[in-house]
Amino acid sequence: MNRKAGEGSLSVMPARRARLVAILASLWILLVMVLGAGWVALVMSQARQISALQALTGSADTQVAAQWDSTRRRIVGESVVFLLLLLAVTALLAWLYWRESRRARGMQAFFAAVTHELRTPLTSIRLQAEAIAEGEQRAELARRLLEDSSRLESQIEKTLELARIEGGGPLAEQSVPLQGWLERSVSAIAAGHGGRVAARVQVEEDLPPVLADATALQMIVRNLVENSARHAGLPCVQVSLAARRVGAEAVLEYRDDGQGTDAQGRELGRLFGRGAASGGSGVGLYLVRALMVRMGGSADFSSAPGQGFKALLRFQCSREEPAA
Amino acid sequence: MSAAAQLLVVEDDRNVGATLVERLRDAGYRVTLAESAARARAAWRSQAPQLVLLDVGLPDGNGFELAAELRAAVPQSALVFLTAHGNPDQRVRGLELGADDYVTKPFHFRELLLRIQNCLKRAQDLAELPGEMRGVVRIGRARVDFERFSAEAGGQVHALTHKECAVLRLLASRVGKAVSRDEILDRAWSADEFPTSRTVDNFIVRLRRLVEPGPGEPQVIRSIRGVGYLLTEVTRE
Repeated sequence: MNRKAGEGSLSVMPARRARLVAILASLWILLVMVLGAGWVALVMSQARQISALQALTGSADTQVAAQWDSTRRRIVGESVVFLLLLLAVTALLAWLYWRESRRARGMQAFFAAVTHELRTPLTSIRLQAEAIAEGEQRAELARRLLEDSSRLESQIEKTLELARIEGGGPLAEQSVPLQGWLERSVSAIAAGHGGRVAARVQVEEDLPPVLADATALQMIVRNLVENSARHAGLPCVQVSLAARRVGAEAVLEYRDDGQGTDAQGRELGRLFGRGAASGGSGVGLYLVRALMVRMGGSADFSSAPGQGFKALLRFQCSREEPAA
Repeated sequence: MSAAAQLLVVEDDRNVGATLVERLRDAGYRVTLAESAARARAAWRSQAPQLVLLDVGLPDGNGFELAAELRAAVPQSALVFLTAHGNPDQRVRGLELGADDYVTKPFHFRELLLRIQNCLKRAQDLAELPGEMRGVVRIGRARVDFERFSAEAGGQVHALTHKECAVLRLLASRVGKAVSRDEILDRAWSADEFPTSRTVDNFIVRLRRLVEPGPGEPQVIRSIRGVGYLLTEVTRE
């Protein structure tokens, strides 16, 4: 079969758009400068004519000269202000363009990551389903199907929650007792990972309830456990959660015994930051931090090669009695 | 034969990797799974697989970089990228690195199987050299060994990809005659691939770097305007 090679580059649009923006911006600045210069020239010319007329009508030379000086100073002052405003507007437009470009790049990276995170479990589901359709009947295939469905569900939930939080969606102010609640949540989340996560939970006995949105708190814990399961590099990762009171706050310390990473703390919670590891959409830890801040607390992450991953979550203690 | 071919699957996703291995074994292949770049290196050193299915995103490295290492270490292996990164730039990059095919996730297993069979067949065709191409031949300043997929030029040995070998062999088999670009595409690329003119030109540019004696006007692989390319000299050593 004879085929012709495709013509041209496959990704010319961004370059074209950038060139177009640069040309339009240059034209705009040129136009404003020409108009500004024309305006200055026109006003100066009119001022000269007024001075000449005043001279003709018999005004004294000194009076005409003073009038002319005053007019010239005012025009120079106005021109300087005009130019400064022009520069400020240009700088503002450049900054807005830079910010929008950065945001667009971030969104592009996010969609690439989310696409990857959705396509991989979809591939697995399709392979499993095709095997079953061709007569294979094994519990292992069904287990993988369920696991992949959970991964898809989790990714979709994270994406929706990110959109909600970034859009300023509200969080409930609830009084959540970590005693009991944390152990139940973590056990359920760990069970969903099919024996690949072993969890230990310890909550100080007299720890007061924390001020939090219970659904958001559930997502925070799930994201941390998923992060460990994905990046630990172990067949079974041990995670521990210890909650205690420190001053007026409640502190939840989360640790895993995984391989760790050399990424810095800020880098770990950066939106769409995916580090050296291939997996993940760069949303999980960002959501943990964003949700903690929205609940009036904070989240700090740290990790080092061979030393696992650690998260320190600080909550406000609730003064109310826990919700029934 | 292809049914008993040795395959290496480099895939970090546990479920995708395990299911692929099971299904490829059911299809009659001998299959090894490597879940990281480090394990892939160890596997191809010990087994010299006939075909490698390579994921681009790996926990300890990038599949594109790994592909370059694979090409240098086991040049006779066919290479198929298997990845969720389906954008055209990455596809072009993969094919320029010498991949024989680029499959985007999610895919149908039957389709993957067909692509594997095609790649193995092309690799086998490349391995079957006509008598005049055996041993070392001199093309321009390079000493080319088609059996080892290598070329020595300027005191350095370069690994040739399957496509570079296919293009060079086609030109060498018609030395002194122009070969059309369409014919080059048909012989070196499969019907499922859609290389851009940039891809083809890049192959020729790379080959010229190897064989041309100087950076000026090409003397060994000449462009024939409106037709394609012409190789001017091949001598047996």
